[in-house]
Amino acid sequence: MEAYVPKLVCFSCDFGWGYVTAHDILAPQIDNWIRVTCSSKVDSAYIFEAFEEGADGVLILGCPEGRCHFEDGNFRTEKKIYLLQKVLEAYGIEGFRLRMILSNNPGGEDIPKRIEEMKKALGKLGPMKRR
Amino acid sequence: MWQSIRNGTAAVEEAVRQFLPPCQAQCPINEDIQRTNVLISLLPEHPEDAEEGIIQIGDYLFEKNPLFTVCGYVCGLCELACNYRSKGGAIKRRLLKRFIGDTYTDYLDNKEEFDIKKHKANVAVVGGGPAGLFCAYDLSIRGYRVTIFEASDRLGGALWLIPRYRLPEKVLEFAVENMVRIARIDVKYDAKVGEGKLTLERITDEGFDAIFIAKGTPTPRTLFFADEQVEGQDLSGVMYGHTFLYEVSHGNIPSHYFQGKKVTVIGGGNVAFDVARTVRRLGGDTTVLCLECEDKDSPDGIPADSEEIRGAWQEGIRIIYSRGVSRIFGEGERLKGIDCPRCTSVFDESGFNPQFDTSDCMSLAGDILIITVGQGPDKTSLKKDDLLDKMGRLAVDPLTLQSLKRENVFIGGDLRRIGFMAEAMKDGLTGAESIVRYLSGQDLKEGRKRDYEVQDTPLKRLYLTEPEVLWVPPEKRMHFQLYERGFTLREAVEEAKRCLCCGPCVSCKACVSLGIQESLPLVEVTQDRCCGCGICVSACFYGAAQIRIVDGRLVSTIDTFKCKSCGMCVETCPSGARRLIGDKTENEVREVYASL
Amino acid sequence: MADKPKIALCWLASCAGCDEAVVDLNDAILQVAEAVDIVLWPIALDFKYDHLESFGDKELALGILHGAVRNSEQEEIAKLMRAKSKLILAFGSCACFGGTVGLANFRTREDIFNWVYRDAPTVVNPEGRFPQPETRVDGKTLTLPEFYDHVYTLDQVIDVDYYLPGCPPPPDLVLNAVNAVASGNLPPKGSTLAPRAALCDTCPRNKTKPERIEITTVKRIHEVEADPETCFLVQGIICLGFATRSGCGETCIGVNTPCRGCFGPVPGVTDAGTKALSALSCLVKGGQYGDPKKLMESIDDPAGYCYRFSQPSSILGRKSRGENV
Repeated sequence: MEAYVPKLVCFSCDFGWGYVTAHDILAPQIDNWIRVTCSSKVDSAYIFEAFEEGADGVLILGCPEGRCHFEDGNFRTEKKIYLLQKVLEAYGIEGFRLRMILSNNPGGEDIPKRIEEMKKALGKLGPMKRR
Repeated sequence: MWQSIRNGTAAVEEAVRQFLPPCQAQCPINEDIQRTNVLISLLPEHPEDAEEGIIQIGDYLFEKNPLFTVCGYVCGLCELACNYRSKGGAIKRRLLKRFIGDTYTDYLDNKEEFDIKKHKANVAVVGGGPAGLFCAYDLSIRGYRVTIFEASDRLGGALWLIPRYRLPEKVLEFAVENMVRIARIDVKYDAKVGEGKLTLERITDEGFDAIFIAKGTPTPRTLFFADEQVEGQDLSGVMYGHTFLYEVSHGNIPSHYFQGKKVTVIGGGNVAFDVARTVRRLGGDTTVLCLECEDKDSPDGIPADSEEIRGAWQEGIRIIYSRGVSRIFGEGERLKGIDCPRCTSVFDESGFNPQFDTSDCMSLAGDILIITVGQGPDKTSLKKDDLLDKMGRLAVDPLTLQSLKRENVFIGGDLRRIGFMAEAMKDGLTGAESIVRYLSGQDLKEGRKRDYEVQDTPLKRLYLTEPEVLWVPPEKRMHFQLYERGFTLREAVEEAKRCLCCGPCVSCKACVSLGIQESLPLVEVTQDRCCGCGICVSACFYGAAQIRIVDGRLVSTIDTFKCKSCGMCVETCPSGARRLIGDKTENEVREVYASL
Repeated sequence: MADKPKIALCWLASCAGCDEAVVDLNDAILQVAEAVDIVLWPIALDFKYDHLESFGDKELALGILHGAVRNSEQEEIAKLMRAKSKLILAFGSCACFGGTVGLANFRTREDIFNWVYRDAPTVVNPEGRFPQPETRVDGKTLTLPEFYDHVYTLDQVIDVDYYLPGCPPPPDLVLNAVNAVASGNLPPKGSTLAPRAALCDTCPRNKTKPERIEITTVKRIHEVEADPETCFLVQGIICLGFATRSGCGETCIGVNTPCRGCFGPVPGVTDAGTKALSALSCLVKGGQYGDPKKLMESIDDPAGYCYRFSQPSSILGRKSRGENV
C-alpha cells in the first residue's frame, strides 16, 4: 500500500516570511504556495475551497504578535481561523487541518520546514473522511 | 483699459495640497521617512547580508540629502511630529538614520562621482555651511557649474561648532568633503567674499550669473539688560559661547583647561548646553543660567532639548532657571561674579520682552563667564553689499529667497533666519530652485507655496513603547567620544518595524521597490452592490473606507490616499462589492487549486 | 377562451410554510386562480401524481417546487416536474439553498436514525425497529422512498430556472413572481426574483451604526433585552443581515429579532457563511482586544448559525446528485 502523503496548501505573508530570499530559490522547495501581502487577505472562501478541491491541510504563515505591517491583520486572521476551525469540525473535518503560525522568518527557509512538520502530523491522521 | 492677466502672479496655482505622514511634513526637506523605515525593517537578519541593503538605503537617502549621515547625529525634528509620540513614544528615526549613516560614512570615500553634464550657467555660492552646500549640490546635479566661496579652510559652517561628543569629526568631514567631490562642486577656500577685492560685483563680473549667499551668523550676541549693554563684558574671564566652540572645534583648547574653575554659562538654548557640557568635559565646575523657566510646555519654557538638559544634569551641571544678568563685576581686570535678578516673564504679546523682579537678586561668583545668548550676521558686510532695507533688516523675499535689492542675489540659511540645520538645507534647495527659474526666465513664485495635510494615526491593538536609548554612564563620559550607543542591526530592524506607516502609499512604495508587489493594487467599490453595512469601515485601520450618502443611499467609498491596499476590506465585504484591481492572488489560488 | 397557462406546485422535504406563503396571498390568490390553471398542489387540491404524468413534456408553463431533496420520492417528483414544465421555480430557502433541512448534513444518516428511532429520551422502541426501504408483507413487497445520506438543494438534482428565497418567501415577492410568469416578463435564466442588495440597504436600523463597530462579547438574543431601535451588531447580537439578500421587508427585525439569513447570499457570493465568518472576525474586538480564542468563544455554534439555511449550497457542503448516493 502506498504511503499516504498529505497535500498541503500554504499561504504566507510577504512581510514576515521569505522576503529576503529570491522567489525562484524558495519556490521549487514549496508546493502549493500562495504569497500574500498580509495573512488577513486570505479569504475564508479560499480556505474552504482548498479542502473542497482536495487539500488535506491548509497552513497560514503570518507575522508575530504586534508586528503586522498592516497593524492588526494577523490578529484578525487568528480570530477567523478559530471560527473556521470550529466550522470545519461541524463539517466533519478535523480542526487542526487548518493551522496558523505567527512568526518571523525573513530568509524563508523555515517555510518548507513548517510544511513538512504539518505534513507529518497530518500523515498520522490519515486522509480526510469527507461526508 | 480692462485687461485680465494670465501669467506670472495672476496665474491659477496648481492644487498643491499634498498628503504626507506627519514626520515627512515636519521635515523641512520632506525626506522619504516612511519608505526608509519600511526598507530598514525588511533588511536581512545577518549583518554581512544586510550591508549591501544598508548601502542601497544610504544611496537612496543621499540622493535627496547628501548630509544625511550628519543628520543622524544632530537632527530628529521628525520625531517631534511622529504620531506614535502619544501612543508609546516617537519612532527613533534619528537613530535609524544614524544606523544607516554609520555604515555609509565608511563607504562615502568610495562612492563614485555623479556623471552629470555641466552645460548650464555658472552660479556662485557664498558660504560652505549646510545651506550653501545644499544649494550647490542641487544646482550641480541639475547641470549648473557651481563654485563655493568658503571663508575658512573647511566646509561645514556652523556644523563644526557641534561638540564631538554629539557629532564625531569623521562623520562631518567625510560628509562634506565627499559631497562636493561626488557632485563635482568647485570649492575655493579662504575666499572671504566682502573683504578686499572679492566683492559681489567682482563675482558677477567673473561670469557667475547668480549668487546664493549663506554666510551664516559669525557674530555672537552680547548681553543686554533693560535695553542696555551690560557692563563688564570686556573683563578677563568673560567670553562668548560661539567663539569658544569655534576654538574648541579647531583643537585650540587643551583638555583640563577649566580644571578647578567655576564656570557660568549664560543661555537656555541648545548651544548654551553644548558649551556647558564641553566645559564640563574640560574639567570645569559648570552652572547654566537662563531666563527661561523649567516647564518646557510653558511659553517661557527653556528651549534646549530635553535630552540635552537630562544629559547635562547627569553630568553634574547645575541649571539655574528664571534668572537674568544685570551686572558683571570684577576685581581690576578680572571677573569676580555676576548679579542675577529673577526673571518673571520672558515673552509677551510684543515678543521677546523679559521682565525682572530686581528686589529678588542673587550674586553668583565665578572664574569664567561664557555668554551664549545667540548669534547674528555680519551686518556691516551686508550693508556694504546693499542687501539691507531702510530699517536695517535683510531685504529678502521669504518665499523665493530672492534679494529685494539685487535680483541676481539669493539669500538663505542662518543668515536669513536662525534655525535648525535641516531648515538651512531647505533654504539651500529653495534658493537653488529660485536660481534655476531666474536663470531660465520663469516665474519665481508660481507653485512654490506648499500645503501639507497630515495623516492620522492608524488603529492598532497594541502600541509598543519606544526602546530605551543607552548612554554611557556619566562618570565615564568626561571625554569627547560619543556617549550615545547607536542601534545594532537587530535593534534598528525592530524599531523600524514599529513605524505605523501613517502616510499614503504613493509617498512610500517600499514594498514595490523590494519586489513584494509589482505595483500597488487599487481598491474599487462597486457601489450598486454595496448595501452600506459599514463593515468595511470597521475593517480598515487607516480610515480609508468611508460611508457616504450617494443618491440618497448610504454607500461605501474608498479614500485612495489613506488606502494601504492591504485587502482587508475586500476580504471582509459581505456583499463582495470591493475588489483589488491588479491583484494576482485570485489567479494564483485558482492555479494552485487546479493542480491539487 | 384560450387555455390558461398550467402551473403545478409540489412539496419536497418541506414544512409546508411555503404552501402557506402562497395561501397568504389572500384575495390575490383568486386573481391567480383566474389567471392560471393549477394542476397539482398536494396540500390544497386533490390531484394525484398521475394527473401530472398525463401531461406532455414541457406542457406546464411553470413548476413550483419547494423543500430540499432528501429522499428518492422527492428526487422523482423533482425530475417529473422538470420534464413537464417549461420553467422551474425553486421556491423558498430549502429549494434554493437547502434550508433548515440542510442542517441535517452535519450528521450522518446513521446518526440521525439512531437518535430518532433509538436514543432520544422519549423513544420507546424495545425491538429496535428502524425504517427500511423495502419489506415483505403477505408475499408482497412494500417499499418506502430511500432516505438519502445527504440533503440536496433543488439545483443539485435538476436544472432550475428561477429562485425565490425566503423562509417562507413574502407575499409580495410571490405575487411578483407569479405575475412575471403570467406576463412573460422574465429576467435572465438563473436569476433570483428578489432585490440584489444585502439587508442593511433597507434596514431601518442601519443608520444607528457608529463609525466603527466593536463587539466585546457576543450575546444571544434570548440572553438580553434588545433595544428595538439600534442595530443588533452594535448591541453585540449577531445579525446576519449584512450577508443576506434583502426583499423580506425586515419582518424579523421588525419584531426585534436579528436576521437569521434565510434569504441567502447576495448575487456574486456563493457561500454567505464565509462572508459572515470573515465579518464577525473583524467586528468582534472589544476593550484591550484580549485573547483571540477567548473573544471568539462567545460565538456559540458558528457553523449552525452561519449555515442555518445554506449548508447544502455551501462550499464544503455542496454535492451534486450523481456523485456518491
